[in-house]
Amino acid sequence: MLDLAAVVSDVRRGMVPAHVYGDPEIFAAERDRLFTRSWVFLAHESEIPDPGDYVVRRVIADSFIVARDESGAVKVMFNMCLHRGMQVCRAEMGNASHFRCPYHAWTYRNDGQLVGLPFHAEAYGGDDGFPRQGQSLLPAPSLGIHNGLIFISLDPDAPPLRDYLGDFAFYLDFYTRQSPSGVELRGPQRWRIKANWKIGAENFAGDSYHTPHTHASVVEIGLFREPKASKRKEGALYVAGPGAGTTYKLPPGGGFADQLRYVGYPDEMIAGMAESWSAGQRALVADSGFMVSAATLFPNLSLVHNWPQIDASGTVVPFISLRQWQPVSERETEVLSWFAVDTAAPEEFKRNSYRAYLMCFGSSGMFEQDDVENWVSITDMATGSMARRLNLNSRMGLTSAGRPIKPTLAGFAGPGVAYQGFGEFNQRHWLCQWSDHIEREPAIPAAADMGGPR
Amino acid sequence: MTAPRLLGYGDPAHLAAHQFLVEEAALLDAGDYAGWLGLLCEDIRYLMPVRVTTARGTGFDSLADMAHFDEDMYALRKRVQRLATDHAWAEDPPSRTRHLVTNIRTFSGGPGELRVESALLLFRSRGDTRAADLLSAGRTDLLRETSDGLRLARREITVDESVLRTQNLAVFL
Repeated sequence: MLDLAAVVSDVRRGMVPAHVYGDPEIFAAERDRLFTRSWVFLAHESEIPDPGDYVVRRVIADSFIVARDESGAVKVMFNMCLHRGMQVCRAEMGNASHFRCPYHAWTYRNDGQLVGLPFHAEAYGGDDGFPRQGQSLLPAPSLGIHNGLIFISLDPDAPPLRDYLGDFAFYLDFYTRQSPSGVELRGPQRWRIKANWKIGAENFAGDSYHTPHTHASVVEIGLFREPKASKRKEGALYVAGPGAGTTYKLPPGGGFADQLRYVGYPDEMIAGMAESWSAGQRALVADSGFMVSAATLFPNLSLVHNWPQIDASGTVVPFISLRQWQPVSERETEVLSWFAVDTAAPEEFKRNSYRAYLMCFGSSGMFEQDDVENWVSITDMATGSMARRLNLNSRMGLTSAGRPIKPTLAGFAGPGVAYQGFGEFNQRHWLCQWSDHIEREPAIPAAADMGGPR
Repeated sequence: MTAPRLLGYGDPAHLAAHQFLVEEAALLDAGDYAGWLGLLCEDIRYLMPVRVTTARGTGFDSLADMAHFDEDMYALRKRVQRLATDHAWAEDPPSRTRHLVTNIRTFSGGPGELRVESALLLFRSRGDTRAADLLSAGRTDLLRETSDGLRLARREITVDESVLRTQNLAVFL
């Protein structure tokens, strides 16, 4: 039996037992203690714009229908028929007024209400045997929406989503609120990788240190205007609320509009950002001179923003991607990767930004390819017995006594704590949140009778 | 404009198309990506839409606005250049691949063009102990007659999985 307290204790001092990236007991603890409580991203409202639109998404093994009902409200329902437990919806997306179970034809409205039960009188003796009124597919225990991002928690007592997001909401706006119209998501591309889900989440949270080497090839082929290493070394890392992220340092001297033009945004989008972002958000770009890059919102939603050259004449176009590291097992992760773009962006920008995304991230992306090769390899190594003899050093940026080797970044306009240059502050922040969950007792929910005896 | 007509399997145009696809597969399996680029038209569009599971009668089973690949010549050249660097870990050590091309059907196209459908099973093995990946796909190609012979002007890859079971698409289909 694994000593979880010892694991957590090592993790908290920045020494990560290597086996946590390939251990079935750790995975079970994550399933029972973390994913039963934490807010988890499922979908974006732009994926289900019209009444009846739905997508089907999972939290580990639990399948949920994310639907827009006839009144326009977003509903998230456990995809299991109340009668015999059949998967009610077996498509992954579509438009439906009702979901009818293929087994016995119990039928649910797209808000989850049970409206059809064949032979109710003959089979159940009517409402005395099975009260039909008010029955519905099990709703997600907690539902929250922010900037159109739909999250659920399996904990009915989860704090409100906005409270959970805290200071990270400031940074989320750079990706998902570039204009008052908000963002639209396309995709996702989905693929399965033989890697532990934590590695991608930690990487996007703060691993600017890997960029110069892991991604050397994309610099060598001239996909970017700047030499990558220096761009990274001068960037800031920040920790804010349940999230953490990396930034690039912009060239000195530019104002708000000039910096965004440098990144490749057209003037009409810059006007949207000026209108949509707070003074502090504008100051991060204009005064501090930082532009958001990769980030992770605990536990498994990551975001990325970058600006490659999309043609031979050197046209620089930025793109945004949201991605989820969906755990399948301790050794396998399903990646869901969306392209995101401001709804109000010009069509030409959307086209070019989409191409920029495809070259860099997603199933075929030239960054993502090399990342995943590394992560699969780490997972391979983490499953054996030697990995139990190795605590990986995740203390970059700390002295032996546990103090930061450099001061926090003064004048950084964003909330939270920021450092310039390399460090594993962000990964430790992520790992400490992970530890908070792992050391709690498993969440054991009460089961509700469905139409049982009164 | 006349409707595309299926050519007989003995038709010289079909035989030429068949030879093109088999030779192309040989270049890819040999890792000769520079040679492969030479088979593409400068205005190539190389597209692999994301397939999705939808109810019968929905009217679509792939996403109209999201693909795994949607490439022009610039993007394909960059990918090939990258694989030639010393830092493309995704394919170093390289995968062992086998592009099995079959069910080839050739249709008369516009003047100087052929539409060719084929089935592809890509076997991909990485490392010594990992389970191999399989990617099954249909392909619809537009081959153009040029002074150098047939060249690929457009390829649409209809992959047969919604969730890909390969760690990346650092390989071409």
